[in-house]
Amino acid sequence: MSMMNFVREDLRTAVAGGATAVDVLRESCILVTGGTGFVGKWLAELVAFLNDEHGFNIRLLLLSRNPHTLDIHAPHLLCRKDISLVAKDVRSVMDIPEDVEWIIHAAGTPDNRIHASDPLRVMQVIAHGTGAVLEAASRLPRLQRVLNISSGLVYGPQPLSVSNVAETVFSGINCASVQTIYAEANRFGESICAAYRNLQRLPIVTARPFAFIGPYQHLDRPWAINNFIRDSLMGGPIRILGDGGKVRSYMYAADMAWWMLSILARGRSGTIYNVGSPSGITLKTLAEKILRITGDSQPIQVNLSHDFSAKRSIFVPDVSLAEKAFGLGLTMDIDTAIRRTIHWHREFTTLK
Amino acid sequence: MTSSSEKIKVAILGSGNIGTDLLIKVLRSPYLECTLFIGRNMSSGGMHKASSLGVRTSDQSIEAIVNDPDCCDIVFDATSAIDHKRHWAVLDGLGKTVIDMTPAKIGAICVPAINLDDCLIERNVNMITCGGQASLPMAYAIARTHPDVHYIEVVSSIASRSAGPATRLNIDEYVDTTSSALQYFSGCEKTKAILIINPANPCIDMQTTIFAKVEQANIEALRLEVDAMVRIIQSYVPGYQIILPPTLENNRIVIMVKVLGLGDYLPRYAGNLDIINCAAIAFAEKYAKLRYDQLRITNHESRITNCFSIIRNSWEGVDKCQKF
Amino acid sequence: MPKILISDPTLRDGNHAVKHQLTAKQIAAYASAAEAAHIPIIEVGHGNGLGASSLQVGESLHDDATLLEAARKHLVKTKLGVHVMPGFATISKDIKLAMDIGVDVFRVGSHCTEADITQRHIGFIRNKGKEVYGALMMSHMASKEVLAEEAYKMQSYGADGVMLYDSAGALLPDDVEEKVRELVARLNIEVGFHAHNNLGMGIANSIAAVKAGATILDGTACGFGAGAGNTQLEVLVAVLEKMGYSTGIDFYKLLDACDLADREILSVIPRISSISIVSALAGVFSGFSKHVERISKEYDVDPREVFFELGLRKVVAGQEDLILEVAAALAGKEKRCA
Repeated sequence: MSMMNFVREDLRTAVAGGATAVDVLRESCILVTGGTGFVGKWLAELVAFLNDEHGFNIRLLLLSRNPHTLDIHAPHLLCRKDISLVAKDVRSVMDIPEDVEWIIHAAGTPDNRIHASDPLRVMQVIAHGTGAVLEAASRLPRLQRVLNISSGLVYGPQPLSVSNVAETVFSGINCASVQTIYAEANRFGESICAAYRNLQRLPIVTARPFAFIGPYQHLDRPWAINNFIRDSLMGGPIRILGDGGKVRSYMYAADMAWWMLSILARGRSGTIYNVGSPSGITLKTLAEKILRITGDSQPIQVNLSHDFSAKRSIFVPDVSLAEKAFGLGLTMDIDTAIRRTIHWHREFTTLK
Repeated sequence: MTSSSEKIKVAILGSGNIGTDLLIKVLRSPYLECTLFIGRNMSSGGMHKASSLGVRTSDQSIEAIVNDPDCCDIVFDATSAIDHKRHWAVLDGLGKTVIDMTPAKIGAICVPAINLDDCLIERNVNMITCGGQASLPMAYAIARTHPDVHYIEVVSSIASRSAGPATRLNIDEYVDTTSSALQYFSGCEKTKAILIINPANPCIDMQTTIFAKVEQANIEALRLEVDAMVRIIQSYVPGYQIILPPTLENNRIVIMVKVLGLGDYLPRYAGNLDIINCAAIAFAEKYAKLRYDQLRITNHESRITNCFSIIRNSWEGVDKCQKF
Repeated sequence: MPKILISDPTLRDGNHAVKHQLTAKQIAAYASAAEAAHIPIIEVGHGNGLGASSLQVGESLHDDATLLEAARKHLVKTKLGVHVMPGFATISKDIKLAMDIGVDVFRVGSHCTEADITQRHIGFIRNKGKEVYGALMMSHMASKEVLAEEAYKMQSYGADGVMLYDSAGALLPDDVEEKVRELVARLNIEVGFHAHNNLGMGIANSIAAVKAGATILDGTACGFGAGAGNTQLEVLVAVLEKMGYSTGIDFYKLLDACDLADREILSVIPRISSISIVSALAGVFSGFSKHVERISKEYDVDPREVFFELGLRKVVAGQEDLILEVAAALAGKEKRCA
């Protein structure tokens, strides 16, 4: 099976005959910033799917600072007539082609290694990039909507007593810390959106993504699920830093793409939607699931050297707003998501 | 001596610290003229600086040169090793002479004090690393005065604030590139390069120590050789100075040098960034002088020589990328 | 019972004390004894770690491969560890070699304010599924806030834990407690401490670290290590057990291992010499002491003045070349004054 067909299977499941819900996007031109990242690649796959199988005839512009990454990771997207790559730093966007009607602003890396090593660039890309895109968007004659992709981290630490954080529950963030620059930058990004909505009446919706898993997500990212899958694929053992009591949730990439596009097409300006899985899972249970699927025989290593209860944390969204507004749901549960992800990596990537 | 129209036109690719400091040096040069300063982000400090100096800027990256191939004869590439490989594929086709400031190691490696003239026929000239520019002339002097060099090692200490995110991420490339250049210029197979980043405040000046193990040390001859070498280096890096002349200690030859920068765009302690830029300018100026002399003796018809003719190249990626 | 993970760098830090002249035979002997004593991790190599044998910090008798293989052969349950300093060691030249030999645990160290140079190395090791810890060296030179931010970088890069190194033996228990507590509060990963005994604080500082929440400690047989030596491992284990912490180490067998080290490895007994006190007060890396002693003698200058001058210059580990410059300058000054 080819990469394209693998992804197509996932998208057929995620869209599940509901393509007409985004009919407003037919025959239009969509710009995606951060176009060659994880979100960008999946949106490109989704648009390609809608064009090929549902005759949407969307033209897609992917803006990226390093468009060459697509050569390596998704070459089949490069040769399509309906997808164009634009080599550009998002901070430097001054004009957007006037036939663009829809914008998905997905620039800004969630990679916490880069947040740690180059915090200034991370903040500038989000702050200046959002400002530049919206300034240019405000001169577009037929702009329908902008989807700003922010982060679920803007809420601050989720109280342990709250199982699912809703769009209105903020706990506060220490703004004088290098550990929160990504969250703070995204908060600022959302404020810029609010200002452009007010000043220019730009139609802007916001998505706050939580954690995802699936094809095109690199396993070298230092996030728990990626590390567990990588450890297990390499023959184990899976190592959990801590006692495995942290609670996370994971949405499969194809669902993520469909949710994002649905929010773009149908979201109300000024509204904010969480995007992610509402089903929390402890890291220990997650590791056990991965172990069962890979068939890796080595026991999971948990650190029991001391009491980790003070370090417990939870990061799980309440997504009922988007579910109710657009009839969206998760078409892949965590087991299917892990199975598909592992299948993808075994088939298409090399871990060495 | 040269009017603006006779200066050699250069483009600077990369608007970070190295690129911006190069710009200041080019603006001061009697032989060079910066016709285009190219980055990817108009809001960066380097772009603002260039605009404030009245230099034409572009955020189109390599395409800025593709779109206006006549804009320059020389390109300084101060981006990254990965980007340089792509850039060279384009610039080679356009017939440009490229001075590579990254550790991409595609072209001829150049230390002006050692092999400037040999490099003038090259189209891609690599400036190695900052520690390399400081230490290689000394290693070369040791090799010239000692037939049997068993081992050469160089240690550079730089101020923490002069090491940006790219330098830090690519510290392995620094070590590998410097030690292989040491092999190349000294002829000694066993070499080692070490980089130390020191956070002291006020910032330390860039300093490099050269160690060598030789069969029979000839310190007298080495001191003469080093003195001569230092005079050459100082002609293009005024802040280069010996702080410990060749000394035999614990059965090893030791030489220590310090490099104070010119304080152009970067502060004076950042001698590490200054020396590699001074070396690049030394090459570009020599190239320009040669070109200028040639142009004077040839008549107007042959003025457009082969070296400068533009070969359009069908770079696939160019068409794929829609321009804003 | 709370557990403390013990890592034993006798065959790495101890190499400083013998100018990096440990033999393969000595390494094999101690590795066997460590295995018998169930010491969880032993660190082996040149005093400054992988790829550090050099004229700058001292040449090793054996190359890294020989040292590591000598230990590897005798280890089953005890893990083999190495120290890695980016700027000296590279991934392609040194870390891959160590992995091929079968190293289990990597400590990737930088000066305590420069953690970003460890990103590639920590990431590479983590992606190979090996245990990797960040090491913030010379931790007396930065505030607790700065240390926590640097440690956070290492956590972001994928480290299993972060070790604070008191590389100059300059800290007092209150400093240690404050610094470790800050890291424990800010990180989600393990925190550990590596002491030097220049001011006689090896054990006290290690215990202060544990009280502040550290779960990993370094200690060496008979305190064998750079400068005045490290925390004396057999004492540390005894004190920890007495305080109710478990280490998983067989104490009698540990004493055997230390006696063996005393007999076969320690040509010099680590002690707090007047020079090492000065070195700590000046805040200079412990590994400098042998070089300072030699060079001071050659240039006929007072080693104490050399240390204080180096301290004023805020030298970091790996800047041993400056000893020569400082000594030469002091010698020149004395000559002029005479």
